[in-house]
Amino acid sequence: MTAVARMTVLVMRTVAPYRTQGLVVFGVIVLIDSRSLVGLIPALALLLAPLVAAQPFMVADKADLQTLYAVLPLSRRTVLLGHYAWALLSFLAIVITGTALAALLAQAQDMPFGGRSLATLLTLSWALFAVNISIQLPLLIRFGYTRISVLATTVPLALVMLAVIRVHLDLESIQDWLPLFWVAGAAALATSAALASCASNQRQRS
Amino acid sequence: MRVVLSNSAGVPLYQQIKDQVGTAILAGELAEGSALPSVRALARDLRISIITTTRAYAELAAEGFIATVPGKGAYVLPLDSALVREQLLRRVEDGLQTALDAALRAGLDREGLIQILDGLIQAEHEYASAQEGMSR
Amino acid sequence: MTGDLAFALRGVGCVVGNGFALRDVSFELPTGYVMGLIGANGAGKTTTIRCLLGMQGIESGEIELLGHRVPGPVALRQDVGVVLDHTYLVGDWRLSEVERTLRPFYDRWDAVRYRQLLEEFGLDLRAKVKDLSRGMGMKLMIAVALSHRARLLVFDEPTSGLDPVARDELVGIIGDFLLDEGHSVLFSTHITADLDRIGDYVTLIHGGRIVRTGSKDEILDAYRVVRGGPDELRDLVGVELIGVKESSSGAQALVRTEEADFLGGGVLVEVPTLEEIAVHIGLSSRKPAAGVPDGRREEFA
Repeated sequence: MTAVARMTVLVMRTVAPYRTQGLVVFGVIVLIDSRSLVGLIPALALLLAPLVAAQPFMVADKADLQTLYAVLPLSRRTVLLGHYAWALLSFLAIVITGTALAALLAQAQDMPFGGRSLATLLTLSWALFAVNISIQLPLLIRFGYTRISVLATTVPLALVMLAVIRVHLDLESIQDWLPLFWVAGAAALATSAALASCASNQRQRS
Repeated sequence: MRVVLSNSAGVPLYQQIKDQVGTAILAGELAEGSALPSVRALARDLRISIITTTRAYAELAAEGFIATVPGKGAYVLPLDSALVREQLLRRVEDGLQTALDAALRAGLDREGLIQILDGLIQAEHEYASAQEGMSR
Repeated sequence: MTGDLAFALRGVGCVVGNGFALRDVSFELPTGYVMGLIGANGAGKTTTIRCLLGMQGIESGEIELLGHRVPGPVALRQDVGVVLDHTYLVGDWRLSEVERTLRPFYDRWDAVRYRQLLEEFGLDLRAKVKDLSRGMGMKLMIAVALSHRARLLVFDEPTSGLDPVARDELVGIIGDFLLDEGHSVLFSTHITADLDRIGDYVTLIHGGRIVRTGSKDEILDAYRVVRGGPDELRDLVGVELIGVKESSSGAQALVRTEEADFLGGGVLVEVPTLEEIAVHIGLSSRKPAAGVPDGRREEFA
């Protein structure tokens, strides 16, 4: 296993005690959106996934894991990439499960589901999640969880983004641009990770 | 090997170790060739610093009581009669010095000091003969 | 490989965000011994340790750790164990999970040793980290450090909040650890009693500067404690009194041994204990380092 993979597993273990809370939130979102499935995947991507991505930082502040990461034979870059990897993997897990559930619910309620509109939805969810995380993770790394209120940043961001989708975007119109969104999302994350490496060096000094 | 340290003796710890081990060797309690604990094991057991035990062993080695083997510990050297004699003579000298200091303070002159010495030697003889008498 | 020095700091200077600084910090520890880093709260012990471990950047000077310049290769941390006054693990982890979690990062993790140590320390594998008392928490961190075969143990205020029995147990653990002459210990504390007996070397730190460093015997020999009547200490000329303490019945201060000859016969001059040295130095020049109120606990990370 590479160092980053080991770090990702470590991050996962730090948040494992909170998996029940995560499942509960997941269930609540599913319940709320079970009738109008269009909102389900974006809601998971913009409300739950960012919280899950930020969770390791909360645990780190509470348990002084900054010391643990500094004591373990891990480079700062590995620690950082492990957090990004966790954000990505948990996002994938959430969205895949959410999509599967949505498909089942759609079948149960005899609603249309799938095809291009699903692809668009997934792409948008990814892009918005990536942008959200690209902003949030460097802030969390720089300032730590207790100084950044994650809900305060996630919720308004999510609402703003959902509003933007409603008002400006006609889902059909962007269907031709899907690959661009995928790339944009990935680019945002990569830039964010690079900036965050500099930020984490800064934090060590203070 | 028995080493008992006193916190309130006013004597430095390394000196106490040196004295106790040296005395045990001179008295034959620690046989020649017997192994002593390493400086680290001794420090661990007595809960004192390694530098202290190292110093005690170094001085014991310098005086010819023990030999240290790096990495293995130390063992008791054969009692050299010249060594024993030297140690004992040193004790005589120390004892006499103490007596002399006290004598000067008491205003005792050389005659008075020799008188006391003769008295003590006499007492030793009487005690020794009494012991012999009892054992017959 | 046993080098000569476990670590060395030379002319280290550093600035920490809230204005606290280390200035010209130099001291070193030969391999195989235990050094006590003694100073009051806020004196700079934790900052010094963070610099030593590469967790804090330095502005000047150089640091060597186990033969490598700091910041050294990440692999250097395989040989270093760090024990603080708190556990730095997730509270909900059970001790068995602690092992599963940390083990992949260490080349020389000894699982048998971990279990043996937990048993010896009276720790239950099924217990959760958050359920451990302070003393047990400290022992857990020691068990972790010993299980990955650390060569250097660094303790930062491990005994604050511990009862005397636990502190005594720590002395025994350190003694066992030092049976191997390739092992070294750095122990920072404001409780000098811990180091009175087993300390080989002592470094005194005050206001971000090193007051004195050397073997414990050298340090004890470098100072004398002077006791006299309430006014007697005031009349002394040409002698620097360090950290004078006055009461209605008398006064007490520390002086350098070479100046003790100037004291005259009216006062009582004695060899000090480490405690007295630490207290008087702590009292001297009572201006704390910029920005740090007295008694504030430095954060480790």
